[in-house]
Amino acid sequence: MRYQPFRIGGAIALLLLLSSTLDAHHSFSAQYDSSKPVEMRGTVTKVEWTNPHARVYIDVRDDKGQTANWNFEMASPNILVRNGWKQNTVKIGDQITVSGYLARRGDHMAIAGAVADATGKPIFDSNPDIAR
Amino acid sequence: MRTHPFRIGVVIAAAFVASIGAQITVPSTPPPQTRAGGSITAKAPSGPTPRKPNGQPDLTGVWLRRAGIVNIEQLLPKGETLPFRPETLKRMSQLKSQDDPQLKCLPVATPRSEPYPFRIVETPTHIFIVMEAVHGYRQVFMDGRKHPTGEDLQLSWQGHSIGHWEGNTLVVDTVGFNDLTWFDNWGHIHSDKMHVVERFTRVDLGHLNASMLVDDPGAYSRPFTLNYTAELMPNAELMEYICDNEQDAPNIDAPADAAIDAEKLLKQGNSR
Repeated sequence: MRYQPFRIGGAIALLLLLSSTLDAHHSFSAQYDSSKPVEMRGTVTKVEWTNPHARVYIDVRDDKGQTANWNFEMASPNILVRNGWKQNTVKIGDQITVSGYLARRGDHMAIAGAVADATGKPIFDSNPDIAR
Repeated sequence: MRTHPFRIGVVIAAAFVASIGAQITVPSTPPPQTRAGGSITAKAPSGPTPRKPNGQPDLTGVWLRRAGIVNIEQLLPKGETLPFRPETLKRMSQLKSQDDPQLKCLPVATPRSEPYPFRIVETPTHIFIVMEAVHGYRQVFMDGRKHPTGEDLQLSWQGHSIGHWEGNTLVVDTVGFNDLTWFDNWGHIHSDKMHVVERFTRVDLGHLNASMLVDDPGAYSRPFTLNYTAELMPNAELMEYICDNEQDAPNIDAPADAAIDAEKLLKQGNSR
């Protein structure tokens, strides 16, 4: 499976962001494992612009060539929009790279923090003020 | 010329509509185009407290409370802790993180808040607090009525609220809460005996100081006061929040944070 630890600084910033964003709705540590940061690159297969969380699904191919569909939880659409996202910022077919943390339970589930486009340009800025 | 009664009616109706139109304040220039919902990081504007024609502060606007979302103890005066009764600690120690009613998209109710704004709407007889979170609203009766008593007081998620003005402060008195909501994400709970008195003072254009006196003899050994300041969100509108894709609860199995605290306090024999 292709998930690698990424830079520690980025991981800490992301953890802070995700904790503050999600604690409002549920406890971060109850659902996600901060000791398991992941970075995955894949093709967007579905975007759910829904509450309480938007979700982006991506097909990710592992080192053995096997493809799995991953469900990445995002902040709510309301919080994303107030931080500059639009409903079609990420579209089906887009190649994206997502950094986040693995879920403690749930198959192929993770929490998304930083998202970058195919060229590596960040399209989601880890703004710690996102939730409060 | 013979004036038809119908025509007279139309003229009177038109004049009436025109007079109402003249009373409605419409901004001479439309508000600036901003991204939907406004920005969560925009600074609250400064300026004097707006007032209604009768001189009372005008509380209307879109407000955001940022504090005490995760753990409401952050709103207590420094050094204070919630005064749990022993049976509250026992009940709380059993709570699971996935039991949070708000996690399951149930209403957000006083004194809880989520990181989403609310709009205060004032009419002569009611004040409405329209909450973006989970599409909730509170209605505060401003017509001098009292709370229903006995069997007439129906327990509900938001309770029964009556309000009055004390100088520059709006006082909202609420009873009749059910015991199904949590105070916060942490897992602090209450009983259906809870009585909350809120005091709202718009200290300037951009800031609404609020206090909540919580008296719940069914769960706490003494009343306590929670304080926060809500900020006006400039050029913001409420956004739709239909909670129709909850996937978290089935994927969480962990004690609530308050359950971990309660377990420790029970071991120490400390019910506060």
